[in-house]
Amino acid sequence: MKKSKNTLGKVLLVLMIIFFYLPILYMIIFSFNEGKSLTNFSGFSLRWYEHMLESRDMMEALYTTFSIALIATFVSTVVGTITAIGLSKSKKIVRDTMAQVNNLPMMNPEIVTAIGFMLLFITFKVEKGYMTMLLAHIAFCIPYVILSVMPKVRSLDPNLADAALDLGATPMQTLIKVIVPQITPGIVSGALIAFTMSIDDFIISYFVTGSGVKNLSIIVYTMSKRINPSINAVSTLVVVIITVALVIINVVPMFMAKREKKEEIGKKKMVVPAIAGVCVLAVVCLVFGMKKEASQAPYAGQTLYVYMPGEYIGENVVPDFEELTGAKVVMENFDSNEQMYIKVANGESYDLLIPSDYMIQRLMEEKYLQKIDTSKLFNYEDLDDAVKGAAFDPNDEYSVSYFWGTVGIVYDKTVVDIKDLEEQGYGIFLNEKYKGNIYLYDSERDSFMMALKNLGYSMNTESEDELQDAYEWLVQCVETMEPEIVTDEIIDNMAQGRKALGLCYSGDATYIMYENENMGFYMPEEGTNLWFDSMVIPANAENPELAYEFIDFVSSYDYAYDNSSYVGYTSPNAEVAMELAGEGGDYEGINAYVPRIDFENDEVFVYNEDTRKIIANLWSKVKIAASNAN
Amino acid sequence: MKRFSQLAIPYIVWAVMMLVLPMALIAMYSFTEQGNSIISFAFTLDHYVKFFTDPDFLLILWRSLLIAVKTTVICLLLGYPLAYFIANSSEKMQNLLVLCITIPTWINALVRTYAWIGLLSEGGLLQQILSFFGLGGKELLYTEGAVLLGMVYNFLPFMILQINTSLCKMDHSLLQASADLGAKPAQTFLRVTFPLSLPGVINGITLVFLPAVSSFFIPKLLGGGQYFLVGNLIENQFITVGEWNFGSAISMIMAIIMMLMMMAVRKIENHNRGGKEE
Repeated sequence: MKKSKNTLGKVLLVLMIIFFYLPILYMIIFSFNEGKSLTNFSGFSLRWYEHMLESRDMMEALYTTFSIALIATFVSTVVGTITAIGLSKSKKIVRDTMAQVNNLPMMNPEIVTAIGFMLLFITFKVEKGYMTMLLAHIAFCIPYVILSVMPKVRSLDPNLADAALDLGATPMQTLIKVIVPQITPGIVSGALIAFTMSIDDFIISYFVTGSGVKNLSIIVYTMSKRINPSINAVSTLVVVIITVALVIINVVPMFMAKREKKEEIGKKKMVVPAIAGVCVLAVVCLVFGMKKEASQAPYAGQTLYVYMPGEYIGENVVPDFEELTGAKVVMENFDSNEQMYIKVANGESYDLLIPSDYMIQRLMEEKYLQKIDTSKLFNYEDLDDAVKGAAFDPNDEYSVSYFWGTVGIVYDKTVVDIKDLEEQGYGIFLNEKYKGNIYLYDSERDSFMMALKNLGYSMNTESEDELQDAYEWLVQCVETMEPEIVTDEIIDNMAQGRKALGLCYSGDATYIMYENENMGFYMPEEGTNLWFDSMVIPANAENPELAYEFIDFVSSYDYAYDNSSYVGYTSPNAEVAMELAGEGGDYEGINAYVPRIDFENDEVFVYNEDTRKIIANLWSKVKIAASNAN
Repeated sequence: MKRFSQLAIPYIVWAVMMLVLPMALIAMYSFTEQGNSIISFAFTLDHYVKFFTDPDFLLILWRSLLIAVKTTVICLLLGYPLAYFIANSSEKMQNLLVLCITIPTWINALVRTYAWIGLLSEGGLLQQILSFFGLGGKELLYTEGAVLLGMVYNFLPFMILQINTSLCKMDHSLLQASADLGAKPAQTFLRVTFPLSLPGVINGITLVFLPAVSSFFIPKLLGGGQYFLVGNLIENQFITVGEWNFGSAISMIMAIIMMLMMMAVRKIENHNRGGKEE
């Protein structure tokens, strides 16, 4: 009887270990994969580690994660311990009230706590960044420390402290020599909880960060949409650091205990995590300590803050720009124009933004931008006429084109009948023949564009009835077609031919077709969204000169080429676009690379606050409908 | 002795600033018409009305609670026996196993969740294993199952550790006594072990349920954009839609629901304990 129970237990425990470690092991293995795939191991290589070491974003994130965790743990342990001692001697009412207050971050959903911090920092105009992240971490760690120290303090014999005081010890001495040693286990476990909480945190950091400060979770969250095995590499590094630290914590005490079995094990216990902490910090500093020396370049020591979509820049642009100018580029990425707007409107300062057409119009109207003197731009003449004088900025006073293109349907030529596309246009997304085989793009504007165009309306309609029709169209689609609503995941997934149809930006379609020749790109006759992503300089930019340098730099032939060939979007530099699409170019024969111009049904988005709100709300509701249809 | 009480004063000031004030701000935003307006505060209940009169929003709330309940139940069913077996193994083994469970929680939650994408995606290891057993062809990633799996994976360690702690704290002579008095092992478990481990169970439930109900990155990473829970709704209001007042109202609703639930759980716990002591 007993025996069978034991075996059952062992089997369960082994299964548990497998469950916990399989994903981690899988991740470690695939960090050494030569290819980009997360499912096929094609050979051993260290390229993702090289990639990681070269990516300053990742190295800084690693540093931010660990330095914040260590500082927050230290501060919250000290403050929490002192407070717990203080509270234990306070009146009951104070103690009970504080217990309730401390419960707030522990008993609230994390996202609520996060939003509270965000609103606090914004209300008091504290610039969001490293400090705000650190403050928030300290704030949510202290209650855990208090919670774990408090019981130990309360079980102390009060006579001990009194005795110490009577014998002539100062309060300080009493605290350090009498009270603290007795509550050490509580302090240690409090510190461990604080560290775990801080290093594991994503939600709170995500809402309170700013100025390009990212921790590891934020990096993973923003990068996870496209397959990026560097994430595996950086994660593996974390696993190694953490395991080493834990082993030190757990093994060293054993040795120590063996060596001197006698006294003061309690004291040693506190020393060990401290040693481990220092070791971790040392490793991190070592990894991070590859900072380049400041050069004599014209902008040495200055920083350019850029806020742009993710995975939207050539690999050599930033390093070469930094080398040329001596400046440092801090890149922050956004998922959508709306996300960018909210940050800019809340006063965060950047030197350069790359939003889309309608958003540029909005930023212009709301006076968030400064004029750009294009005569100061050496390479401005090389830009295509098609990207100049667009309706949102007719005199090109505020924006310089970065990429441009259309939206269309990417389809698997081996599955989709081209006749269906020609006959139905966007209506193919309601054709049940392709049920469960489609991707929608998680962008409210483009999804409504598709619905409105299919219904024969203008995508800039202000009619609520027409918007309501489009909403119903989309609800029908999500309720009957089982679509997956994705963002950039569509790129890798379509390139691997996982679904038959997807609504897609032309530049992403270019990349997909380049990777998989079975894929085609179709621009429906009903018309599409002709869009422009352009560089603009915010009114509150701190370093507009450097922004000018950057604009000029990426407009030049070499770097426009690097950008366009790496990302797949159409270059505004006419010569580059011709080169890439022409004979022998990377994108020869790929129709998605060449935007359709002067087609009467195509439109450019116009900004209208009322419609934007309606569409934003309706799109949330479409997603809710999709979720509820599951 | 009393003078030590002054040590708490700095923290009380800090706590008011960093813990109470943020909640007050959320509450204020949720009752304000538009924008971030301490100055132009205009009381309204519109945001709450909007939420409670729309069946879609209520359904999302319901679904979020449901998946959190599922996660908690699964974690409890898996976690209790595991914690029990750990508590019953030798001390050395116990330390080792607890360490094994702790390590994954020290590796970032996002990283842990991301790790599942490769395993679950098409042609990935799990699908291959399933198709080996003739269960292939089913999509794994971007399903409710994937979200549930992600949540259980992320939160199970908390459940195990909590229950384990309370099982280990238990006075083992009580078990002996129960057996000596003629109770069968099952009886001992039901009448002695389980009630004594209840505080751990309750803590575990709290630590699993709370993050599960408001999680937004697990559904986003493993459920895809069409998998939308309350956490996603709140994130969406703040990050993309920009209706902070409505977002604050949803946050308040969440916070209040959680508070009520936690109070109910504590009540049950206290009641149980009270009953035992009498």
